[in-house]
Amino acid sequence: MAEVTLEQGSKVCFVTTGATAPFIALIEAILKPTSIDALKDAGYTHLLIQYGTAKHVYDDRIYDARMRYRSEADQGTLHIDGFDFNSDGLKDQFKLVQDSKGVVISHAGSGSILEALRHQVPLIVVPNTALLDNHQDELAIAMEKSGYLLKGDIIQLSHSIKKAEDFRKRMTQFPPVTSGKHRETKSFAAIMDETMGFLD
Amino acid sequence: MAAPAPPLSSLYTLSFLLALLTTLAVIASLRLLAILPSNTQTKPLKSRWRPTRVMIVLGSGGHTHEMFYLLRDLDTRKYTHRTYVVSSGDAFSASRAAEFEKELERRGKEDNLRQQDVEIPQIVIGAKRDVAGIERSNDEEKRRACTGPENYDIATVPRARRIHQSILTTPFTSLLTLLSCFKPLLTAQAIHPDRPPQDVYEASARDLPDLIITNGPATAVIVILASLALKFFDIRGANSRGKCKAIYTESFARVKTLSLSGKILLRLVDRFVVQWEELEGKGGKAEFWGILV
Repeated sequence: MAEVTLEQGSKVCFVTTGATAPFIALIEAILKPTSIDALKDAGYTHLLIQYGTAKHVYDDRIYDARMRYRSEADQGTLHIDGFDFNSDGLKDQFKLVQDSKGVVISHAGSGSILEALRHQVPLIVVPNTALLDNHQDELAIAMEKSGYLLKGDIIQLSHSIKKAEDFRKRMTQFPPVTSGKHRETKSFAAIMDETMGFLD
Repeated sequence: MAAPAPPLSSLYTLSFLLALLTTLAVIASLRLLAILPSNTQTKPLKSRWRPTRVMIVLGSGGHTHEMFYLLRDLDTRKYTHRTYVVSSGDAFSASRAAEFEKELERRGKEDNLRQQDVEIPQIVIGAKRDVAGIERSNDEEKRRACTGPENYDIATVPRARRIHQSILTTPFTSLLTLLSCFKPLLTAQAIHPDRPPQDVYEASARDLPDLIITNGPATAVIVILASLALKFFDIRGANSRGKCKAIYTESFARVKTLSLSGKILLRLVDRFVVQWEELEGKGGKAEFWGILV
C-alpha cells in the first residue's frame, strides 16, 4: 500500500469498507463532490480509502473526482489515496488519524468500531443498508445515543463530515471507565472473580 | 386365589416399554433440574486462592476479537491455566490465542519484577511483621504469574457446521464436535503427558476446568452441552466439586435481541452477561454491567 507521510498541518480522513463484502456505496459516497467539498472545507489534506476487493469502483470514481478538480484548478489540496487490505490490521491508519486530529469513516462492523474507538478518534459509522442484517443499524444507533460515535448515511455523508468537527470535542471516552456514571459497572475480570469467589 | 404372575413375555409389551421410558425421563429431568444453575442470584461464596483452570471458547473472527477484548485484564496469578478451544481450520483464532499468551507472558514478567521491588522495603520493616503478615506473604508467593507454554494449551475440535453445509448433516457433525469436546474438558493437553503432575498447578491443569468462558459461536453451545453431560453423570466430580462453571457474554453487536447461541444457552450457564441495557433481565437472568469489550 501507499505510505502517507505527514507534514505539519496535515489532516487525515480514513475510510474503511470492511474485509468481507466490499461496501461499494460507501466508496461512491465519499468520492462524491459534496463529500470532497465538505472535507476540503473542514481542512482535510488527505483522504485514505481502504477499498477491499472493490478497486474498480475506487478507480472509476477517483478518475471522475480528479477530472472535476482539474478544471477548478484546486486539485492537489486534498490528496486521495487507496489500498486494498493490510495484513497487519489498520493500526497505522488509525494512528495517522489520531495524530492529525482527523476522522475515521467506517462500515458498521463491530470489530472495526471497537478498534477505531480505542484510538480515541472521532468515528462516523455508516450502516450498510443493502445487508439484510439490521443489527448493524441497531448497534450504530445505540452507540450514537451513548455519544461514542456519529451514525452517518451514504446519502448525506457530507453532513456527518461537518458534524464531526464539533463532535470531536464532546465524544464519550471508550472503553467506558468501569466506575461511577449513572449505575454500577463492572469489568469482565471482576465478573470472573466474583463467579469463582475470588473476592479480595 | 392370587392372580398368577404375569408371563415373562409381558416385559416386551409396548406398555412396559412406555412405563420404562417415562420413569427414565422423570429421573433425567429431576437430575437436570438439580444440575442446571438456578435463576436466583446467590451471593458468591468467598473461596481461598487455588490454582484455577479456565476454558476459553473461541469462534469465528468477530467472536474471537470480542473475547480477547473481554479478557484484556486476565490475571494469570488467579487463572493459572488457560485452555483455548478453536474449531479446525480456524488458524486466526489459534494465532490470536498464542499472541495473547505472549502478551500475558510479557506482563507477567513485569509483574514479577515489580513484586520483587515491593518486597525490598518489607525486609527493612521486617521486625514489625506479625504472624498474619508472614502468612500473607506466603500466600503472595504462591500467587506467581503463571505464563508460558506450560500454562496454556490450544485444543482443536472439528467444526460443528461448515459454511453452506446442508442442514441435514449438521446434527452429525455437531455430534462429532460434541464427542471431541470431552477430551479437552477432562484434561488440558500436558507437555509431559506420561509424567504424573509435579505440583498443584499441573494437577489443576489436568483436572476439569473450574470456569468456562464463552460468547456466541456454535462451538460454545456444544462445549457447554458437553460440560452439562459431565455434570449430569458427575464424571470426575464435575457437579459435586462445583467444576465447569460457565459465563456467557452476549456480543456487543446485540442491542435488542439475543443471538441464537444466547437463546439456547440462557438457561444453561451460571452467568449470562449482556452489554446493552435493553437486554437486561432476559430470561430472568441476563446481567448488564455496561459495555465490557
